[in-house]
Amino acid sequence: MKQTIMFAVCAAVFASPSAWADPKVVPGPGFDATCFQPWSAQTKHFQWEKKSGPYRIALVNGYVGNLWRIQMVKTAKAIAEKPGFKENIKQFKVISTGTDAATQLGAIEDFINQGYDAIVTIAVSPKGFDRVIRLANKKNVVLVPFDNVLDTDKVMQVNENQLEIGRMAGQWIVDQLGDKKSGKILEVRGLPGNATDRDRSVGFREVLAKNGKFDIVQVVGNWDEGTGQKVAADAIAVHKHFDAIFTQGGSTGIVRAMLDSKHPMVPIVGEAENGFRKQIVKYAGEGLLGMSNGQSPALVAVAMKAAIAALQGNAMPQLISVPVPSATYKTLKDGENYWSGLDDNMFAASDYPPCGITITAPEIMAKDEKND
Amino acid sequence: MTTHRFKLGLAIRQRVGTITAGAIFALLYLAYHVHHPNGFTAQVVGQNANESVALVLAAMAQTVPVLIGGIDLSVGAVMTMTNCLASHVLSGNAQEVSLGLAACILVSTAFGVMNGVIVVYGRIQPIIATLATSAIALGLALLLRPFPGGEISETLSLLLTGSLLDSLVESGLVSQGVTDNLSVLGNLPTPMLLVFAAGALWIPFQRTVTGRSIVAVGSSETAAFMSGLPVPRAKIAAFAVSGMLAGCAGVFLAMQTLSGNADLPQAGTYTLASIAAVVIGGAVLTGGVGGMLGSVFGALILRVIAFNFRIFEIEPLIQPLVEGTILLAAISVSATRLLRVKNRLDLYR
Repeated sequence: MKQTIMFAVCAAVFASPSAWADPKVVPGPGFDATCFQPWSAQTKHFQWEKKSGPYRIALVNGYVGNLWRIQMVKTAKAIAEKPGFKENIKQFKVISTGTDAATQLGAIEDFINQGYDAIVTIAVSPKGFDRVIRLANKKNVVLVPFDNVLDTDKVMQVNENQLEIGRMAGQWIVDQLGDKKSGKILEVRGLPGNATDRDRSVGFREVLAKNGKFDIVQVVGNWDEGTGQKVAADAIAVHKHFDAIFTQGGSTGIVRAMLDSKHPMVPIVGEAENGFRKQIVKYAGEGLLGMSNGQSPALVAVAMKAAIAALQGNAMPQLISVPVPSATYKTLKDGENYWSGLDDNMFAASDYPPCGITITAPEIMAKDEKND
Repeated sequence: MTTHRFKLGLAIRQRVGTITAGAIFALLYLAYHVHHPNGFTAQVVGQNANESVALVLAAMAQTVPVLIGGIDLSVGAVMTMTNCLASHVLSGNAQEVSLGLAACILVSTAFGVMNGVIVVYGRIQPIIATLATSAIALGLALLLRPFPGGEISETLSLLLTGSLLDSLVESGLVSQGVTDNLSVLGNLPTPMLLVFAAGALWIPFQRTVTGRSIVAVGSSETAAFMSGLPVPRAKIAAFAVSGMLAGCAGVFLAMQTLSGNADLPQAGTYTLASIAAVVIGGAVLTGGVGGMLGSVFGALILRVIAFNFRIFEIEPLIQPLVEGTILLAAISVSATRLLRVKNRLDLYR
């Protein structure tokens, strides 16, 4: 009997084609390919039914306890007022649900039920969104996860290629070391168990392995300034000397650990914290040949732009690769890609010129003051 | 007649925490529906229920250890562990799924019993014992699911997260025509029925000697012991019930996400929220006072505040501040009576 029931349910679920309308899979190239780059040649393209604007868009953030997320929320609110966004957005709603998957799924479902046209979100878990994806497709709502993306190819997503961030770091260190093909390299990892941490490390090690015989010393810094400073100081105390350093985050703490232990300044690759960029400028002459690559909080703006383009009926890549904003000690310029007058913890990479997203860090901060 | 009225008055006075929590919830939920573009529809109620049930079950799980004068810091961890276990055993044919469900509940109950045994025979304070076992549960969760994933029977998920009507029609037990006559009843969300079922099991249990002993031990352990009540049994039972309900919460989370995830911050969030829900529901952390229904309302208040953020225009970065203020107000209202109490026995007079 039970099996009959199960079968009946399965049949009812799978045999009704009208139950939900997935976006059409169409051949590429998609709309505005300079901004919305497909992840790879195999990436498929989606096309939703064209809706007339302006649209109601919601941002469903998860955790909100660090500066990156706060800057992301501020960027979203600021960009929604900019031309290109403003005329296409009727209502823009931002909420943060915390680290609880049930609440985040519930919030997305709620916005779908409220009749929103698009929802951009940073998923708290890479799994578990099947139900809301199905509901969104059924109601013709465009759901765009970005930053922490989902393990699925059924939804349009926006991210930077984390493998590439690792490879760029490896290449920079190899280039700076020049003829030196061996030596000790310090790698400061991010949060363990996280896909971003894994991919950056894999890309980094891949390049180093190809270009010499380097001895990589690995410590875990949790992308956190304080933790990073402590583990880097410990590593320097034990190993005395490193030829180069790659840190995934908390970069200012790593440089401070070097300064405290009187470690000579060496080539370094870190995140896009404003403070780290200030340090690079200050110590480049002493040998801190730095590169700063960031996961920019402005990813939210690309996700919003992608949502609007999808609602307008354009063909969009399923997985959008956003170019990594990068700066080196040669290209850093005050007031352009770092700000000597602004907070150290701010993320200096705050725009994506290929996407026409040119909002600068001071503008985001100004937006905040106006709100108060 | 006078005795009857006296009893009604007493009944109300004893439940003032529950009633206050219920009223606050009703008020906030009404505001949500009035302003929701799709308010007062089965769809919205069903979604709200799905979102709330895991926390409601976690709050119910926390209620029993709090009643006995303890606390269970492993609620979120046991929930996460069961969630990860569910992602391994809740797939396949009907028999396999039923066995898997039984296994999940059994494992989480056994974990609760272990907590109880450590507290009673290890003579360790519940707060420390469960803090330690929560780390064990989280370790097991990570062992079961180092990365999020797994498989959950979609059929079971549909049955448990839809409305009663959907479940009946989809299971082929009734045809569409018949259920049209059942619309009000049929639109009841299935997850809500699960909470009713859990509550229905609690009521008879509360009337057993063990059930009564739980409250008695919470009021005064010495008095309960001197009266010959089975104190160790009551304590172990309290933690067992807690483990079982936390397991149900974990299974429900699996139904909702169709996967398992050893999410440590989320486990912590659920433990803290369950304690908050129990206190908002009128329970006292020193034990002896509180109830399942109050905790259910407490959990619902926590959820409904978040619902309202999706309707009303509140600056995203001050939402946590607003949430905290409302919570503090809710707890203060529930607790005003306790401030006046000189002797805890007054609460029963």
